[in-house]
Amino acid sequence: MQKDLEDKFLLDFETNQNIAHKICRIYTTNRDAHNDLFQEITIQVWKNYPKFRGDSKFSTWMYRVALNTAISLYRKSTRKIKTQDFNAVAFKIKSTPFDDTEEIQLTALYKAIHKLNDIDKALIYLYLEDKPYKEISETLGITNVNARVKMNRAKEKLKNILNP
Amino acid sequence: MDVLDHYKKAWKNQPEEVSKLSTAEIYKLAHSNSSSIVKWIFIIGILEFIILNSLYFFIDMDEAYAEYEKLGLMNFIFYSQIVAYTILFYFLAMFYLNFKRISTTDSTRTLMKKIIRTRKTVRNYVLFNLGYIVLVVVVATIASISTNLEELSNKQVIFIIFATLIATLLILGIMWLFYQLLYGLLLKKLNKNYKKLAKLDSKT
Repeated sequence: MQKDLEDKFLLDFETNQNIAHKICRIYTTNRDAHNDLFQEITIQVWKNYPKFRGDSKFSTWMYRVALNTAISLYRKSTRKIKTQDFNAVAFKIKSTPFDDTEEIQLTALYKAIHKLNDIDKALIYLYLEDKPYKEISETLGITNVNARVKMNRAKEKLKNILNP
Repeated sequence: MDVLDHYKKAWKNQPEEVSKLSTAEIYKLAHSNSSSIVKWIFIIGILEFIILNSLYFFIDMDEAYAEYEKLGLMNFIFYSQIVAYTILFYFLAMFYLNFKRISTTDSTRTLMKKIIRTRKTVRNYVLFNLGYIVLVVVVATIASISTNLEELSNKQVIFIIFATLIATLLILGIMWLFYQLLYGLLLKKLNKNYKKLAKLDSKT
């Protein structure tokens, strides 16, 4: 029983790990922190996996657990130097099959997102992932109206950073 | 087309992570030790309960009881301790229940609320304990002044009151600083995020 559950978890998590990687890229700015947060997300998803009933898609459920870990549970280790910034995209992604202008845009996008606060990061992330407002408000636990208002503000902030 | 739509397209087309993990690596990560703040809140909370209740081991209780007896405070100490222990068990139960209710599968706001509530349970217990200590100190001071009233000059009475007051304030001040530090370390980010998230909802 436990073995079956574990196998299912490993398969689900392996196929959806990009959700966690993108969240790590948004909430951290160096490789060590990225791995550290990724590890905590893996632990939390596994720990809560028995509670996943399958009435929603695994990915939808994973968005919630992973974002919760990044926003509420994760604490940066004090060893890490906060100011150490680097080009998150170029460092982590191979660029061979990739359009140049889009790569520049993506780099700029990550850089801009890093300047947002934790809540705005979550909103923008869910927007970029094309999540409907219903899912956004349920994931964050706020009303639909509040989600819309906050989303518009977060998008405005992001636009201002991208095109000052 | 909105400016962000271009960026969204770039986001959609971003390549997959290079350093994708295999199931074996995921297995190893999933079984490693968590360093989440919930775990720290639990450990620190339990430590606080233990530390506050083990002070009796460092104080010579026989001597203290002899002193209370002399001041005629045995009844007060006896009954107030029954109340204090009942309250201790109430707080311990609440702490455990609140901790158990924390679930990463909740919505972000509910999760934050539960974490903050668990932390507050311990804080309230500490406040109660400090209140209890202050009460005992005040009662003992009043009792010792009134039993020795004939032998004490006015100056001495004032001195005792001031000395007790300063000592109490000093202890409270140190505890307050300690708490600011603990809270600052553990919950600053969470409290800030919680306020940001809840801001509009309270109005609608």
